[in-house]
Amino acid sequence: MTSFQSTLGDEPGIAEELAKGQREISIAEFFEKNKHMLGFDSGARGLVTAVKEAVDNALDATEEAGIQPDIYVEIAEAGDYYRLVIEDNGPGITKEQVPKVFGKLLYGSRFHAREQSRGQQGIGISAAVLYSQLTSGKPAKVTSRTQGSEDAEYFELVINTDQNEPEIRTEKTTSWDRPHGTRIELEMEANMRARQQLHDYILHTAVVNPHARLELREPGLDEPMKFERATDQLPKQTKEIRPHPHGVELGTLLKMLSATESYSVSGFLQEEFTRVGAKTSDKVHDAFRDRHFGREMTWRTPDATEAADLVAVVEDAVANKGKEATAAFAEELVDIVVGKERIAHGELVTIVENVAETVGEETDTSFGETVRENVVEALWPALTDDREGDVYAIVDDVTTTQKDDAGKLSMARSIATQFAETTGPADRATRDDVAEFVAWAAERTKEREDETYGETAQENIADAVWSRMRTVSDDVPKVREVADDRDVARDLLDAMRETDILAPPTDCLSPISAELVEAGLRKEFDADFYAAATRDAEVHGGDPFIVEAGIAYGGELKSEGKIDLLRFANRVPLVYQQGACTITHVVKDIGWRNYGLDQPGGSGMPNGPAVLMVHVASTNVPFTSESKDALADVPAIQDEVELAIREAARDLKSYLSKRRSLQKRREKQDVLGRILPQMATKLSEVTGRPEPNIDGALGRIMNNLTVERAVDDGEVTLTVTNHSNTNESPDITDIVSAEPTGLDGEATVVDLDGEWFVKWNPEVSSGDTATLTYSVAQDASFDINVDGVETEKLTVNV
Amino acid sequence: MASERQTSEERARERLIDLAAEFYDQFDAGEIPYMTLPTRTKSNIEYDEDANVWVYGDRTSKRSANSVRGARKLLKAAYTIEFLARQLDEDRSSTLRELYYISESWDNEEAHFSDQDESNKLIEDLEIVSEVKREDFHMRPEESGAKLMGPLKIREQTNRGDREIHCQLDVGQGGYQIPNNPDTIEFLDHDIDFVMCVETGGMRDRLVENGFDDDYNALVVHLGGQPARATRRITKRLHDELDLPVVVFTDGDPWSYRIFGSVAYGSIKSAHLSEYLATPEAKFVGIQPQDIVDYDLPTDPLADSDINALQSELEDPRFMGDYWTEQIELQLDIGKKAEQQALASRGLDFVTDEYLPTRLDEMGII
Repeated sequence: MTSFQSTLGDEPGIAEELAKGQREISIAEFFEKNKHMLGFDSGARGLVTAVKEAVDNALDATEEAGIQPDIYVEIAEAGDYYRLVIEDNGPGITKEQVPKVFGKLLYGSRFHAREQSRGQQGIGISAAVLYSQLTSGKPAKVTSRTQGSEDAEYFELVINTDQNEPEIRTEKTTSWDRPHGTRIELEMEANMRARQQLHDYILHTAVVNPHARLELREPGLDEPMKFERATDQLPKQTKEIRPHPHGVELGTLLKMLSATESYSVSGFLQEEFTRVGAKTSDKVHDAFRDRHFGREMTWRTPDATEAADLVAVVEDAVANKGKEATAAFAEELVDIVVGKERIAHGELVTIVENVAETVGEETDTSFGETVRENVVEALWPALTDDREGDVYAIVDDVTTTQKDDAGKLSMARSIATQFAETTGPADRATRDDVAEFVAWAAERTKEREDETYGETAQENIADAVWSRMRTVSDDVPKVREVADDRDVARDLLDAMRETDILAPPTDCLSPISAELVEAGLRKEFDADFYAAATRDAEVHGGDPFIVEAGIAYGGELKSEGKIDLLRFANRVPLVYQQGACTITHVVKDIGWRNYGLDQPGGSGMPNGPAVLMVHVASTNVPFTSESKDALADVPAIQDEVELAIREAARDLKSYLSKRRSLQKRREKQDVLGRILPQMATKLSEVTGRPEPNIDGALGRIMNNLTVERAVDDGEVTLTVTNHSNTNESPDITDIVSAEPTGLDGEATVVDLDGEWFVKWNPEVSSGDTATLTYSVAQDASFDINVDGVETEKLTVNV
Repeated sequence: MASERQTSEERARERLIDLAAEFYDQFDAGEIPYMTLPTRTKSNIEYDEDANVWVYGDRTSKRSANSVRGARKLLKAAYTIEFLARQLDEDRSSTLRELYYISESWDNEEAHFSDQDESNKLIEDLEIVSEVKREDFHMRPEESGAKLMGPLKIREQTNRGDREIHCQLDVGQGGYQIPNNPDTIEFLDHDIDFVMCVETGGMRDRLVENGFDDDYNALVVHLGGQPARATRRITKRLHDELDLPVVVFTDGDPWSYRIFGSVAYGSIKSAHLSEYLATPEAKFVGIQPQDIVDYDLPTDPLADSDINALQSELEDPRFMGDYWTEQIELQLDIGKKAEQQALASRGLDFVTDEYLPTRLDEMGII
């Protein structure tokens, strides 16, 4: 060690030498070398990421401006490079802002805002610009037109990576056919190997943004992929919220403390945080006091029998007041004190003050400051005479009976001594102090009595003592003092975290809503069944979040292999790193067999013709990395993801089990519909009789609802028999070519151009029969239609 | 005889058509066709005091076309009824196995039997619901009936005319092979003192070789494992018509006791025919568990399945009574079983010179 040091010492100036090479690195330079962190690790991926960043920005901008998004994406081959154009109909960007938005990393409006938005760090689009200039050497071409302006502004710009500042190559006004919006054109080294991911991204974006119109053109497509709007309803505008007390860290708190205009901590809490009113603020204050000042120990008050002695003590301490007044004061004071169970120093001070006021008024005597102090000083030792006995009772109360009395005594004595000797006159101590007292007492007890008080025993005693201590009413430090002292700020932060506070409001979030999740799935996937669920908001680390899930099943979805999982964070599709994402982990852990999906081995991705989508909306989505491809495994989020999926999956399950039972019924119908007529034929052959009518038997077997018509001399009888074990109420419409008369039952007749619609909606209980009769001309023809009963359960025989 | 046979065939045909008509009427009434069969489980056989045999109890199961399985069964029943009716019309007969293959030729694949077990069961079902024996349907089992050896003269109606045969003098060492329908036999004359039913072929051959039938005027009937209906029927007729005592000689294990049980009281499968097949007066000779102990016979240990079978026999109404309870409990106690051939451990003649005479004497047969 020493020799190594001396070696360094031999070469003075090496640090200076090294210092020459040390310089500040700009963020742009940093990312130039670390493209992968932003999702630009390959040409294939770079293209997808660039499209993603531009489209996310376009959606954010249009929604903020309350405009229905209309976004155009074009990828074209341009010599050795690909040219990427993204246009939106957003509000446009002012001339001053354009260079910064596109030509400077970490420039953005949303980083500091607590609300749900797609982009957050202000890295995305400028990173795309950076990537394009690095690979093609060409500047980004940006056109922007704000609402109402005559012309559009046109820029060609690059990022100066040394300074992370935009460098404008060309700047002019130009004409543009869009009334407002932004267009960016980038040229970059790329390839279309990630075409699938690109299509997925656009398709999935269309699913979760049913209010947006999207169009994609790329060289591999014969005609553009177009996604029309499914709703006019724009996502709810989100509100920015103040931070939640449970979600800040010490550094943030210190920064907020020095920036606030509030003078008191109370004002600071209520102004700067969400969900903090006067009540919550008081609770935080008490917790803060406990940490900052400590609590005061309360002691058992002496028996009423000792009142006389105490009165004497008080009278002695009061000098130079009238005898009667002194006596009245002393008696009143002692009376109150003795009447209390336990008393703390602060309480005594308050009582003395109050009694001095009241008795002073009654007796017209002034018990001034000095008198009061003297009284407290004289009375407190008398009240705390037996600390040891008091603590003994506490120790005895929470210690197991196996412990020796001598040990308990020793513990009590040592703790009492600590209070008497180390806490000043007020017996004030923090929770940590108390723990220390107990630990010290345990050490001494071990030494003296050879009795061990383990950690749990110590903890129990400390808790019992702490619960008998009283929060002080001292004024808490002002904001300035807290801001200047890291330790005090730490106490405040702990107090905030420890206090129960209402979860943050959710108007900062904009979930898609279960309806629109389903609408989005319906729009882009041709399936037989759709279900969706939106959970209530929850909180992780002070940030509220909402999880939604949707499932599409069957229809045209591919039935081989695994289901498709669509992941979204704040309405942005996540197309890479599926395996690293917490959503995937949750999906794999769910037992899908319970929900009617095939899952080899009972865990992992289920198989089948299904699409599962999960959307996590939060003011702060916890990604595993800056490229924002996968959600981190945060337990609170995992739980909600699971619950949302299960909620949607339950609907899937009941759909599938119903489908299976109908499937079985269909199979049974198929087989029996074949076998029974064959049997009937055979029986008629054997018995030599005509073929029997087997419809009634068939209806019974199928547990069906049968509808039969009998016409006898113009009398029509419709018989509805319910062979099922549930009640049915079919909608029956009999279309008759001649006017029906003499209707009984609750049927209605509508005349429509020479056709009469006899409508009837009977309630038929399980096993029952309902009949409808009417008269009609002999040659009438009939056409019956039965709704409101699944076709598998219906046998119409007319 | 010929005219009587005609009637039983006509009756069989009529019953079959009636059954088809019943299904027809059910269809026509809008009902789901079904047939009701006695539940064929051990718990549903009861002792018939009058006939001294075990018959099906009151519990029934419904076979209905309400399920795909049930409908297929009834469809097959309809086809089988047609086939049987035609067979009776044409005075032909066929075996159970042939029925299974014949179904393959039916125009409807749904009506084909999936295995012979299914066609066998269906014939049994039809027997039960139509109350006609399958022999009267002209359905024969594949297995041959018993072989008889002893002083009995019979006349058998064969396809090639009537034959008179003496079951000792006119036959070889193998004995007389009874036909599938023993009701075609007429007993002419006999010199039998008792009927000895033997389970195994080896023991039957031993008795014949040792001249047991001759020495004791015994009619030796070879059961050949679980006896065929024809074997049980002829045994019953020998007992009823010639008033002969019947004894049963089997191995000393639970499965052999069931062979005795089916000879004496009928089987679960054919409890509907007990009155026609069972000989309740039949007596069990051995091998008794007691013999295993008394003669110190070579044994095998009881397997788990043996123990289970013994325990279920303790519950079996056919084995109620002190004798069986005592023997079965003894066997469970010693945990051993023995074959008939185990008697050979004491010499080849031991069974005919010592064991059987002693047992039959005890039983009051000789």
